[in-house]
Amino acid sequence: MNSAERRRAMAFKRFYAEYQRLILGMVSVVGMMLLWELAFTYVIPLNPFFFTKPSLIAEAFKQQIVSGSLWHDVAISSKAFLLGFGLAVVVGIPIGVFMGWRRRAEYTLDPFLTALYASPLVALAPLLIIIFGVGLTGKVALIFLLSVFPFIFNVFAGVKCTDRLLVNVVRSFGGREKDIYFKVILPSIMPYIVAGARIAIGRGIVGILVTEFYAASEGIGFAISRFGDTYRLPDMFAAIMVLMIVAVGLTEGLRKLETLVAPWKVGQEAR
Amino acid sequence: MESRARGEMNTLASFYREREQAILGGGFILLLILIWQIVPALISLPRGIALFFTTPVEVIKSFYQLVVRNEIQSHVYTSAVEFVVGLGLAIVVGLPLGLVMGRSKILDAMLDPFVTAFNATPRLVFLPLLILWLGIGIWSKIMIVFVGALFPLLINTYEGVKNVDRVLVNVVRSFGASEWQTMKVVVLPNSVPYIVAGLRLAIGRALLGVVVGEFFGASRGLGFMIAGAATNYKVDVVFVGVTIFMGLSLALTHLVKRLEARLSRWRPDEVKTF
Repeated sequence: MNSAERRRAMAFKRFYAEYQRLILGMVSVVGMMLLWELAFTYVIPLNPFFFTKPSLIAEAFKQQIVSGSLWHDVAISSKAFLLGFGLAVVVGIPIGVFMGWRRRAEYTLDPFLTALYASPLVALAPLLIIIFGVGLTGKVALIFLLSVFPFIFNVFAGVKCTDRLLVNVVRSFGGREKDIYFKVILPSIMPYIVAGARIAIGRGIVGILVTEFYAASEGIGFAISRFGDTYRLPDMFAAIMVLMIVAVGLTEGLRKLETLVAPWKVGQEAR
Repeated sequence: MESRARGEMNTLASFYREREQAILGGGFILLLILIWQIVPALISLPRGIALFFTTPVEVIKSFYQLVVRNEIQSHVYTSAVEFVVGLGLAIVVGLPLGLVMGRSKILDAMLDPFVTAFNATPRLVFLPLLILWLGIGIWSKIMIVFVGALFPLLINTYEGVKNVDRVLVNVVRSFGASEWQTMKVVVLPNSVPYIVAGLRLAIGRALLGVVVGEFFGASRGLGFMIAGAATNYKVDVVFVGVTIFMGLSLALTHLVKRLEARLSRWRPDEVKTF
Protein backbone atom coordinates (compact mmCIF):
# COMPACT_ATOMS: atom_id res chain seq x y z
CA MET A 1 0.00 0.00 0.00
CA ASN A 2 1.52 3.33 -0.97
CA SER A 3 1.13 6.54 1.04
CA ALA A 4 -1.53 8.10 -1.22
CA GLU A 5 -3.73 5.07 -0.81
CA ARG A 6 -3.17 5.06 2.90
CA ARG A 7 -4.09 8.73 3.07
CA ARG A 8 -7.26 8.09 1.13
CA ALA A 9 -8.17 5.26 3.49
CA MET A 10 -7.54 7.53 6.45
CA ALA A 11 -9.73 10.27 4.95
CA PHE A 12 -12.47 7.78 4.35
CA LYS A 13 -12.25 6.56 7.91
CA ARG A 14 -12.47 10.07 9.24
CA PHE A 15 -15.41 10.82 6.96
CA TYR A 16 -17.15 7.67 8.16
CA ALA A 17 -16.53 8.51 11.83
CA GLU A 18 -18.00 11.95 11.33
CA TYR A 19 -21.10 10.96 9.43
CA GLN A 20 -21.54 7.47 10.89
CA ARG A 21 -25.14 7.97 11.96
CA LEU A 22 -26.20 9.48 8.67
CA ILE A 23 -24.45 6.83 6.59
CA LEU A 24 -25.77 3.92 8.62
CA GLY A 25 -29.26 5.37 8.56
CA MET A 26 -29.24 5.80 4.82
CA VAL A 27 -27.74 2.38 4.29
CA SER A 28 -30.48 0.76 6.35
CA VAL A 29 -33.32 2.64 4.64
CA VAL A 30 -32.01 1.95 1.14
CA GLY A 31 -31.15 -1.63 2.10
CA MET A 32 -34.63 -2.19 3.46
CA MET A 33 -36.23 -0.90 0.24
CA LEU A 34 -33.94 -3.05 -1.91
CA LEU A 35 -34.58 -6.12 0.20
CA TRP A 36 -38.33 -5.52 0.04
CA GLU A 37 -38.23 -5.04 -3.75
CA LEU A 38 -35.96 -7.99 -4.47
CA ALA A 39 -37.70 -10.38 -2.10
CA PHE A 40 -41.03 -9.88 -3.80
CA THR A 41 -39.53 -9.92 -7.27
CA TYR A 42 -37.43 -13.06 -7.05
CA VAL A 43 -38.15 -15.01 -3.86
CA ILE A 44 -41.72 -14.66 -2.68
CA PRO A 45 -44.56 -14.63 -5.21
CA LEU A 46 -46.37 -11.31 -4.83
CA ASN A 47 -50.07 -11.45 -4.11
CA PRO A 48 -51.19 -8.01 -5.28
CA PHE A 49 -54.31 -8.14 -3.10
CA PHE A 50 -52.27 -8.62 0.03
CA PHE A 51 -48.96 -6.87 -0.37
CA THR A 52 -47.00 -4.66 -2.69
CA LYS A 53 -43.45 -3.56 -3.42
CA PRO A 54 -41.59 -0.25 -3.75
CA SER A 55 -41.51 -0.14 -7.57
CA LEU A 56 -45.30 -0.51 -7.75
CA ILE A 57 -45.72 2.12 -5.00
CA ALA A 58 -43.51 4.56 -6.92
CA GLU A 59 -45.56 3.93 -10.04
CA ALA A 60 -48.81 4.57 -8.16
CA PHE A 61 -47.33 7.66 -6.59
CA LYS A 62 -46.36 9.04 -9.98
CA GLN A 63 -49.80 8.38 -11.37
CA GLN A 64 -51.52 10.07 -8.44
CA ILE A 65 -49.36 13.14 -8.90
CA VAL A 66 -49.96 13.27 -12.64
CA SER A 67 -53.73 12.87 -12.26
CA GLY A 68 -53.79 15.47 -9.52
CA SER A 69 -55.89 13.32 -7.17
CA LEU A 70 -53.16 13.36 -4.54
CA TRP A 71 -52.99 17.15 -4.44
CA HIS A 72 -56.73 17.35 -4.21
CA ASP A 73 -56.92 14.99 -1.22
CA VAL A 74 -54.00 16.63 0.54
CA ALA A 75 -55.50 20.08 -0.02
CA ILE A 76 -58.89 19.01 1.38
CA SER A 77 -57.32 17.54 4.52
CA SER A 78 -54.90 20.44 4.95
CA LYS A 79 -57.73 22.95 4.90
CA ALA A 80 -59.54 21.13 7.73
CA PHE A 81 -56.26 20.73 9.60
CA LEU A 82 -55.30 24.40 9.33
CA LEU A 83 -58.73 25.59 10.44
CA GLY A 84 -58.91 23.23 13.42
CA PHE A 85 -55.31 23.84 14.38
CA GLY A 86 -55.66 27.60 13.99
CA LEU A 87 -58.74 27.57 16.19
CA ALA A 88 -56.81 25.53 18.78
CA VAL A 89 -54.04 28.15 18.79
CA VAL A 90 -56.47 31.06 19.06
CA VAL A 91 -58.47 29.45 21.87
CA GLY A 92 -55.75 27.48 23.64
CA ILE A 93 -53.18 30.23 24.18
CA PRO A 94 -55.51 32.70 25.98
CA ILE A 95 -56.88 29.93 28.20
CA GLY A 96 -53.34 28.83 29.04
CA VAL A 97 -52.25 32.39 29.83
CA PHE A 98 -55.35 32.97 31.95
CA MET A 99 -54.74 29.75 33.89
CA GLY A 100 -51.08 30.50 34.39
CA TRP A 101 -51.52 34.11 35.44
CA ARG A 102 -54.56 33.87 37.72
CA ARG A 103 -54.22 31.47 40.62
CA ARG A 104 -57.96 30.97 41.06
CA ALA A 105 -58.42 30.33 37.35
CA GLU A 106 -55.79 27.60 37.64
CA TYR A 107 -57.54 26.02 40.64
CA THR A 108 -60.89 26.13 38.86
CA LEU A 109 -59.96 24.96 35.38
CA ASP A 110 -56.99 22.65 35.94
CA PRO A 111 -58.77 19.48 37.18
CA PHE A 112 -61.46 19.69 34.51
CA LEU A 113 -59.08 20.32 31.62
CA THR A 114 -56.56 17.75 32.86
CA ALA A 115 -59.30 15.14 32.93
CA LEU A 116 -60.24 16.00 29.35
CA TYR A 117 -56.61 16.00 28.21
CA ALA A 118 -55.95 12.59 29.75
CA SER A 119 -59.02 10.92 28.27
CA PRO A 120 -59.44 9.60 24.75
CA LEU A 121 -61.70 12.36 23.43
CA VAL A 122 -61.55 10.74 20.04
CA ALA A 123 -64.39 8.55 21.35
CA LEU A 124 -66.63 11.55 20.73
CA ALA A 125 -65.85 11.44 16.99
CA PRO A 126 -69.04 9.62 15.89
CA LEU A 127 -71.18 12.06 17.84
CA LEU A 128 -69.36 15.10 16.44
CA ILE A 129 -69.71 13.77 12.90
CA ILE A 130 -73.42 13.19 13.37
CA ILE A 131 -73.91 16.66 14.85
CA PHE A 132 -71.68 18.62 12.48
CA GLY A 133 -71.94 16.48 9.37
CA VAL A 134 -69.33 14.65 7.34
CA GLY A 135 -67.99 17.81 5.75
CA LEU A 136 -65.46 20.36 6.87
CA THR A 137 -67.16 21.36 10.13
CA GLY A 138 -67.07 17.90 11.70
CA LYS A 139 -63.38 17.49 10.87
CA VAL A 140 -62.49 20.94 12.20
CA ALA A 141 -64.41 20.27 15.42
CA LEU A 142 -62.54 17.05 16.17
CA ILE A 143 -59.13 18.42 15.16
CA PHE A 144 -59.73 21.42 17.41
CA LEU A 145 -60.87 19.27 20.32
CA LEU A 146 -57.81 17.02 20.10
CA SER A 147 -55.16 19.67 19.49
CA VAL A 148 -56.26 22.45 21.84
CA PHE A 149 -55.02 20.81 25.05
CA PRO A 150 -51.28 20.70 24.27
CA PHE A 151 -51.47 24.46 23.66
CA ILE A 152 -53.38 25.13 26.88
CA PHE A 153 -51.04 23.12 29.07
CA ASN A 154 -47.78 24.18 27.46
CA VAL A 155 -48.70 27.85 27.60
CA PHE A 156 -49.84 27.33 31.17
CA ALA A 157 -46.45 25.87 32.05
CA GLY A 158 -44.73 28.68 30.16
CA VAL A 159 -46.54 31.44 32.02
CA LYS A 160 -45.69 29.76 35.32
CA CYS A 161 -42.01 29.97 34.36
CA THR A 162 -42.16 33.65 33.44
CA ASP A 163 -39.42 35.62 35.14
CA ARG A 164 -41.01 37.53 38.05
CA LEU A 165 -38.21 40.06 37.88
CA LEU A 166 -39.20 41.14 34.37
CA VAL A 167 -42.81 41.56 35.47
CA ASN A 168 -41.71 43.71 38.41
CA VAL A 169 -39.51 45.83 36.19
CA VAL A 170 -42.42 46.59 33.86
CA ARG A 171 -44.60 47.39 36.86
CA SER A 172 -41.99 49.67 38.46
CA PHE A 173 -41.60 51.66 35.28
CA GLY A 174 -45.31 52.25 35.18
CA GLY A 175 -46.26 49.58 32.66
CA ARG A 176 -49.87 48.50 32.60
CA GLU A 177 -51.39 45.03 32.67
CA LYS A 178 -51.44 45.07 28.86
CA ASP A 179 -47.69 45.73 28.76
CA ILE A 180 -47.03 42.79 31.05
CA TYR A 181 -48.98 40.49 28.75
CA PHE A 182 -47.47 41.66 25.49
CA LYS A 183 -43.92 42.61 26.54
CA VAL A 184 -43.12 39.91 29.09
CA ILE A 185 -45.49 36.95 28.99
CA LEU A 186 -45.95 36.59 25.26
CA PRO A 187 -42.25 36.57 24.34
CA SER A 188 -41.38 34.20 27.17
CA ILE A 189 -44.05 31.63 26.28
CA MET A 190 -43.04 31.46 22.59
CA PRO A 191 -40.85 28.35 23.02
CA TYR A 192 -43.64 26.67 24.94
CA ILE A 193 -46.08 27.41 22.15
CA VAL A 194 -43.73 25.78 19.65
CA ALA A 195 -43.35 22.73 21.92
CA GLY A 196 -47.13 22.56 22.25
CA ALA A 197 -47.56 22.77 18.51
CA ARG A 198 -45.23 19.81 17.99
CA ILE A 199 -47.36 17.63 20.24
CA ALA A 200 -50.60 19.01 18.84
CA ILE A 201 -49.64 18.12 15.26
CA GLY A 202 -49.82 14.38 15.90
CA ARG A 203 -53.15 14.74 17.64
CA GLY A 204 -54.49 16.90 14.82
CA ILE A 205 -53.52 14.28 12.25
CA VAL A 206 -55.32 11.68 14.36
CA GLY A 207 -58.38 13.92 14.10
CA ILE A 208 -58.11 14.06 10.30
CA LEU A 209 -57.65 10.32 9.98
CA VAL A 210 -60.48 9.35 12.30
CA THR A 211 -63.07 11.66 10.75
CA GLU A 212 -62.04 10.76 7.23
CA PHE A 213 -61.94 7.03 7.87
CA TYR A 214 -65.29 7.24 9.57
CA ALA A 215 -67.26 9.27 7.10
CA ALA A 216 -65.93 11.50 4.36
CA SER A 217 -66.02 11.78 0.61
CA GLU A 218 -62.55 13.24 0.07
CA GLY A 219 -59.26 13.84 1.85
CA ILE A 220 -56.09 11.86 2.47
CA GLY A 221 -57.62 9.66 5.17
CA PHE A 222 -60.56 8.89 2.94
CA ALA A 223 -58.17 8.05 0.09
CA ILE A 224 -56.24 5.62 2.29
CA SER A 225 -59.34 3.82 3.50
CA ARG A 226 -60.90 3.72 0.00
CA PHE A 227 -57.72 2.28 -1.52
CA GLY A 228 -57.81 -0.33 1.24
CA ASP A 229 -61.42 -1.21 0.56
CA THR A 230 -60.73 -1.63 -3.15
CA TYR A 231 -57.47 -3.56 -2.65
CA ARG A 232 -55.39 -0.93 -4.45
CA LEU A 233 -52.39 -1.54 -2.22
CA PRO A 234 -49.76 0.43 -4.15
CA ASP A 235 -51.98 3.52 -4.09
CA MET A 236 -52.66 2.99 -0.43
CA PHE A 237 -48.97 2.74 0.46
CA ALA A 238 -48.23 5.82 -1.64
CA ALA A 239 -50.86 7.81 0.28
CA ILE A 240 -49.60 6.49 3.63
CA MET A 241 -46.06 7.51 2.71
CA VAL A 242 -47.18 11.01 1.73
CA LEU A 243 -48.82 11.37 5.13
CA MET A 244 -45.70 10.04 6.84
CA ILE A 245 -43.47 12.50 4.99
CA VAL A 246 -45.73 15.41 5.91
CA ALA A 247 -45.90 14.31 9.56
CA VAL A 248 -42.15 13.82 9.85
CA GLY A 249 -41.49 17.13 8.07
CA LEU A 250 -43.78 19.08 10.39
CA THR A 251 -42.62 17.38 13.59
CA GLU A 252 -38.92 17.60 12.86
CA GLY A 253 -39.30 21.13 11.55
CA LEU A 254 -40.90 22.21 14.81
CA ARG A 255 -38.23 20.33 16.78
CA LYS A 256 -35.58 22.35 14.93
CA LEU A 257 -37.52 25.53 15.60
CA GLU A 258 -37.71 24.55 19.25
CA THR A 259 -33.94 24.26 19.57
CA LEU A 260 -33.66 27.53 17.68
CA VAL A 261 -35.98 29.60 19.87
CA ALA A 262 -34.98 27.83 23.09
CA PRO A 263 -31.82 25.71 23.19
CA TRP A 264 -32.80 24.55 26.66
CA LYS A 265 -35.57 22.00 26.90
CA VAL A 266 -39.02 23.40 27.55
CA GLY A 267 -42.58 22.23 27.55
CA GLN A 268 -44.42 19.19 28.67
CA GLU A 269 -44.64 15.97 26.80
CA ALA A 270 -48.04 14.63 25.88
CA ARG A 271 -49.94 13.09 28.73
CA MET B 1 -74.19 36.58 69.47
CA GLU B 2 -72.67 38.71 66.84
CA SER B 3 -69.15 37.65 67.70
CA ARG B 4 -70.18 34.01 67.45
CA ALA B 5 -71.58 34.61 64.00
CA ARG B 6 -68.38 36.32 63.09
CA GLY B 7 -66.43 33.43 64.54
CA GLU B 8 -68.39 31.02 62.36
CA MET B 9 -67.71 33.18 59.36
CA ASN B 10 -64.06 33.12 60.21
CA THR B 11 -63.92 29.35 60.51
CA LEU B 12 -65.82 29.11 57.23
CA ALA B 13 -63.40 31.48 55.59
CA SER B 14 -60.38 29.62 56.89
CA PHE B 15 -61.97 26.32 55.87
CA TYR B 16 -62.33 27.72 52.35
CA ARG B 17 -58.83 29.17 52.31
CA GLU B 18 -57.26 25.89 53.28
CA ARG B 19 -59.14 23.88 50.66
CA GLU B 20 -59.57 26.55 48.00
CA GLN B 21 -57.92 24.50 45.29
CA ALA B 22 -60.06 21.41 45.81
CA ILE B 23 -63.27 23.41 46.29
CA LEU B 24 -62.80 25.48 43.14
CA GLY B 25 -61.65 22.54 41.02
CA GLY B 26 -64.29 20.08 42.18
CA GLY B 27 -66.94 22.77 42.35
CA PHE B 28 -66.36 23.73 38.73
CA ILE B 29 -66.79 20.17 37.50
CA LEU B 30 -69.94 19.71 39.60
CA LEU B 31 -71.28 23.03 38.36
CA LEU B 32 -70.77 22.02 34.72
CA ILE B 33 -72.54 18.71 35.32
CA LEU B 34 -75.39 20.53 37.07
CA ILE B 35 -75.77 23.04 34.24
CA TRP B 36 -75.73 20.19 31.75
CA GLN B 37 -78.52 18.55 33.72
CA ILE B 38 -80.83 21.57 34.05
CA VAL B 39 -80.37 23.12 30.60
CA PRO B 40 -83.34 21.28 29.05
CA ALA B 41 -85.52 22.30 31.99
CA LEU B 42 -84.62 25.96 31.61
CA ILE B 43 -84.85 26.46 27.88
CA SER B 44 -86.82 24.41 25.39
CA LEU B 45 -84.29 23.10 22.93
CA PRO B 46 -85.10 23.21 19.23
CA ARG B 47 -85.92 19.77 17.84
CA GLY B 48 -82.71 19.58 15.86
CA ILE B 49 -80.59 19.95 18.99
CA ALA B 50 -82.88 17.97 21.29
CA LEU B 51 -82.14 14.95 19.11
CA PHE B 52 -78.47 15.12 20.11
CA PHE B 53 -79.02 16.09 23.68
CA THR B 54 -78.88 14.00 26.79
CA THR B 55 -78.47 14.69 30.47
CA PRO B 56 -76.16 13.14 33.06
CA VAL B 57 -79.11 11.40 34.74
CA GLU B 58 -80.10 9.86 31.42
CA VAL B 59 -76.54 8.65 30.93
CA ILE B 60 -76.48 7.00 34.36
CA LYS B 61 -79.88 5.42 33.73
CA SER B 62 -78.83 3.95 30.41
CA PHE B 63 -75.58 2.71 31.93
CA TYR B 64 -77.63 0.89 34.56
CA GLN B 65 -79.91 -0.53 31.88
CA LEU B 66 -76.97 -1.75 29.82
CA VAL B 67 -75.47 -3.51 32.82
CA VAL B 68 -78.76 -5.04 33.94
CA ARG B 69 -79.59 -6.29 30.45
CA ASN B 70 -76.12 -7.77 30.26
CA GLU B 71 -75.40 -5.87 27.03
CA ILE B 72 -72.27 -3.97 27.96
CA GLN B 73 -70.24 -6.78 29.52
CA SER B 74 -69.17 -8.46 26.29
CA HIS B 75 -68.18 -5.08 24.81
CA VAL B 76 -66.06 -4.25 27.83
CA TYR B 77 -64.51 -7.71 27.77
CA THR B 78 -63.53 -7.47 24.09
CA SER B 79 -62.04 -4.00 24.50
CA ALA B 80 -60.16 -5.10 27.61
CA VAL B 81 -58.64 -8.11 25.83
CA GLU B 82 -57.51 -5.95 22.91
CA PHE B 83 -56.02 -3.40 25.26
CA VAL B 84 -54.19 -5.87 27.51
CA VAL B 85 -52.82 -8.12 24.75
CA GLY B 86 -51.79 -5.20 22.53
CA LEU B 87 -50.10 -3.32 25.34
CA GLY B 88 -48.48 -6.52 26.62
CA LEU B 89 -47.01 -7.22 23.18
CA ALA B 90 -45.77 -3.65 22.97
CA ILE B 91 -43.98 -4.04 26.29
CA VAL B 92 -42.48 -7.39 25.33
CA VAL B 93 -41.13 -6.00 22.04
CA GLY B 94 -40.52 -2.34 22.95
CA LEU B 95 -38.42 -2.76 26.08
CA PRO B 96 -35.76 -5.12 24.71
CA LEU B 97 -35.58 -3.16 21.45
CA GLY B 98 -35.17 0.10 23.35
CA LEU B 99 -32.47 -1.42 25.56
CA VAL B 100 -30.55 -2.77 22.58
CA MET B 101 -30.88 0.49 20.64
CA GLY B 102 -29.62 2.40 23.65
CA ARG B 103 -26.59 0.15 24.07
CA SER B 104 -25.57 -0.38 20.46
CA LYS B 105 -24.48 2.62 18.45
CA ILE B 106 -24.72 0.86 15.13
CA LEU B 107 -28.21 -0.54 15.66
CA ASP B 108 -29.28 2.84 16.96
CA ALA B 109 -28.11 4.59 13.81
CA MET B 110 -29.69 1.97 11.57
CA LEU B 111 -33.10 1.85 13.26
CA ASP B 112 -33.36 5.57 14.02
CA PRO B 113 -34.86 6.67 10.66
CA PHE B 114 -37.65 4.11 11.01
CA VAL B 115 -38.35 4.92 14.64
CA THR B 116 -38.45 8.67 13.93
CA ALA B 117 -40.75 8.24 10.94
CA PHE B 118 -43.16 5.87 12.66
CA ASN B 119 -43.18 7.92 15.84
CA ALA B 120 -44.01 11.17 14.07
CA THR B 121 -46.86 9.58 12.13
CA PRO B 122 -49.99 8.59 14.01
CA ARG B 123 -50.02 4.82 13.61
CA LEU B 124 -53.76 4.95 13.08
CA VAL B 125 -52.90 5.49 9.43
CA PHE B 126 -52.19 1.74 9.24
CA LEU B 127 -55.66 0.78 10.41
CA PRO B 128 -57.15 0.17 6.94
CA LEU B 129 -54.08 -1.90 6.06
CA LEU B 130 -54.30 -3.96 9.24
CA ILE B 131 -58.01 -4.57 8.68
CA LEU B 132 -57.21 -5.68 5.15
CA TRP B 133 -54.52 -8.06 6.39
CA LEU B 134 -56.07 -9.38 9.58
CA GLY B 135 -59.80 -8.97 9.00
CA ILE B 136 -62.29 -7.31 11.29
CA GLY B 137 -61.73 -9.68 14.18
CA ILE B 138 -59.86 -9.01 17.34
CA TRP B 139 -56.35 -9.26 15.87
CA SER B 140 -56.48 -6.12 13.74
CA LYS B 141 -57.33 -4.18 16.93
CA ILE B 142 -54.62 -5.89 18.93
CA MET B 143 -52.11 -4.95 16.25
CA ILE B 144 -53.24 -1.31 16.08
CA VAL B 145 -52.93 -1.11 19.88
CA PHE B 146 -49.52 -2.74 19.61
CA VAL B 147 -48.08 -0.35 17.01
CA GLY B 148 -49.62 2.59 18.85
CA ALA B 149 -48.12 1.71 22.22
CA LEU B 150 -44.80 0.36 20.93
CA PHE B 151 -43.05 3.62 20.08
CA PRO B 152 -43.54 5.58 23.32
CA LEU B 153 -42.23 2.56 25.22
CA LEU B 154 -39.31 2.00 22.88
CA ILE B 155 -38.26 5.64 22.79
CA ASN B 156 -38.54 6.15 26.55
CA THR B 157 -36.56 2.99 27.28
CA TYR B 158 -33.94 4.20 24.81
CA GLU B 159 -33.79 7.61 26.50
CA GLY B 160 -33.45 5.92 29.87
CA VAL B 161 -30.51 3.81 28.69
CA LYS B 162 -28.88 6.84 27.06
CA ASN B 163 -29.12 8.82 30.30
CA VAL B 164 -27.44 6.19 32.42
CA ASP B 165 -24.48 7.50 34.39
CA ARG B 166 -21.34 6.69 32.36
CA VAL B 167 -19.28 6.51 35.54
CA LEU B 168 -21.41 3.73 36.97
CA VAL B 169 -21.19 1.76 33.74
CA ASN B 170 -17.41 2.18 33.68
CA VAL B 171 -17.08 1.07 37.30
CA VAL B 172 -19.07 -2.10 36.71
CA ARG B 173 -17.10 -2.73 33.52
CA SER B 174 -13.78 -2.28 35.32
CA PHE B 175 -14.79 -4.93 37.77
CA GLY B 176 -15.26 -7.28 34.86
CA ALA B 177 -18.99 -7.27 34.34
CA SER B 178 -20.30 -8.67 31.09
CA GLU B 179 -22.72 -6.70 28.90
CA TRP B 180 -25.59 -8.72 30.38
CA GLN B 181 -24.49 -7.99 33.93
CA THR B 182 -24.01 -4.28 33.19
CA MET B 183 -27.54 -4.26 31.83
CA LYS B 184 -28.93 -5.98 34.90
CA VAL B 185 -27.03 -4.08 37.57
CA VAL B 186 -26.81 -0.54 36.20
CA VAL B 187 -28.72 0.12 33.00
CA LEU B 188 -32.08 -1.44 33.75
CA PRO B 189 -32.58 -0.04 37.26
CA ASN B 190 -31.61 3.40 36.02
CA SER B 191 -34.06 3.35 33.13
CA VAL B 192 -37.06 2.15 35.14
CA PRO B 193 -38.50 5.65 35.75
CA TYR B 194 -38.21 6.42 32.05
CA ILE B 195 -39.89 3.14 31.17
CA VAL B 196 -42.77 3.89 33.51
CA ALA B 197 -43.14 7.35 31.97
CA GLY B 198 -43.23 5.65 28.58
CA LEU B 199 -45.87 3.27 29.89
CA ARG B 200 -48.04 6.25 30.83
CA LEU B 201 -47.86 7.58 27.27
CA ALA B 202 -48.35 4.09 25.86
CA ILE B 203 -51.58 3.62 27.82
CA GLY B 204 -53.01 6.71 26.14
CA ARG B 205 -52.01 5.48 22.68
CA ALA B 206 -53.34 2.00 23.40
CA LEU B 207 -56.75 3.35 24.43
CA LEU B 208 -56.80 5.51 21.30
CA GLY B 209 -56.12 2.37 19.27
CA VAL B 210 -58.91 0.45 20.98
CA VAL B 211 -61.47 3.22 20.45
CA VAL B 212 -60.67 4.01 16.85
CA GLY B 213 -59.97 0.42 15.85
CA GLU B 214 -63.42 -0.57 17.02
CA PHE B 215 -65.11 2.28 15.16
CA PHE B 216 -64.31 0.63 11.86
CA GLY B 217 -65.10 -2.92 10.94
CA ALA B 218 -65.58 -4.41 14.37
CA SER B 219 -68.47 -6.46 15.67
CA ARG B 220 -67.94 -5.97 19.37
CA GLY B 221 -66.22 -3.67 21.84
CA LEU B 222 -66.91 -0.33 23.48
CA GLY B 223 -65.82 1.67 20.42
CA PHE B 224 -68.21 -0.39 18.30
CA MET B 225 -70.94 0.29 20.84
CA ILE B 226 -70.27 4.05 20.68
CA ALA B 227 -70.26 4.16 16.89
CA GLY B 228 -73.44 2.09 16.65
CA ALA B 229 -75.22 4.19 19.25
CA ALA B 230 -74.23 7.42 17.51
CA THR B 231 -75.68 6.20 14.22
CA ASN B 232 -78.96 5.44 15.99
CA TYR B 233 -78.97 8.80 17.81
CA LYS B 234 -78.72 7.05 21.18
CA VAL B 235 -76.61 9.85 22.61
CA ASP B 236 -76.88 8.59 26.18
CA VAL B 237 -75.23 5.30 25.18
CA VAL B 238 -72.46 7.25 23.41
CA PHE B 239 -71.77 9.07 26.66
CA VAL B 240 -71.81 5.83 28.64
CA GLY B 241 -69.00 4.57 26.41
CA VAL B 242 -67.11 7.86 26.48
CA THR B 243 -67.39 8.03 30.26
CA ILE B 244 -66.07 4.50 30.68
CA PHE B 245 -63.09 5.32 28.48
CA MET B 246 -62.48 8.55 30.40
CA GLY B 247 -62.68 6.77 33.74
CA LEU B 248 -60.35 3.99 32.62
CA SER B 249 -57.86 6.42 31.20
CA LEU B 250 -57.83 8.59 34.32
CA ALA B 251 -57.59 5.60 36.66
CA LEU B 252 -54.74 3.96 34.72
CA THR B 253 -52.85 7.23 34.30
CA HIS B 254 -53.20 7.93 38.00
CA LEU B 255 -51.95 4.45 38.89
CA VAL B 256 -48.90 4.77 36.68
CA LYS B 257 -48.18 8.23 38.08
CA ARG B 258 -48.27 6.78 41.58
CA LEU B 259 -45.90 4.06 40.42
CA GLU B 260 -43.65 6.72 38.88
CA ALA B 261 -43.53 8.69 42.12
CA ARG B 262 -42.85 5.55 44.12
CA LEU B 263 -40.07 4.32 41.86
CA SER B 264 -38.26 7.62 41.77
CA ARG B 265 -38.64 8.29 45.49
CA TRP B 266 -35.12 7.19 46.25
CA ARG B 267 -33.45 9.50 43.81
CA PRO B 268 -32.59 13.16 44.34
CA ASP B 269 -35.21 15.72 43.43
CA GLU B 270 -33.57 17.17 40.36
CA VAL B 271 -33.70 13.83 38.62
CA LYS B 272 -37.29 13.23 39.61
CA THR B 273 -38.69 15.54 36.98
CA PHE B 274 -37.83 14.67 33.47
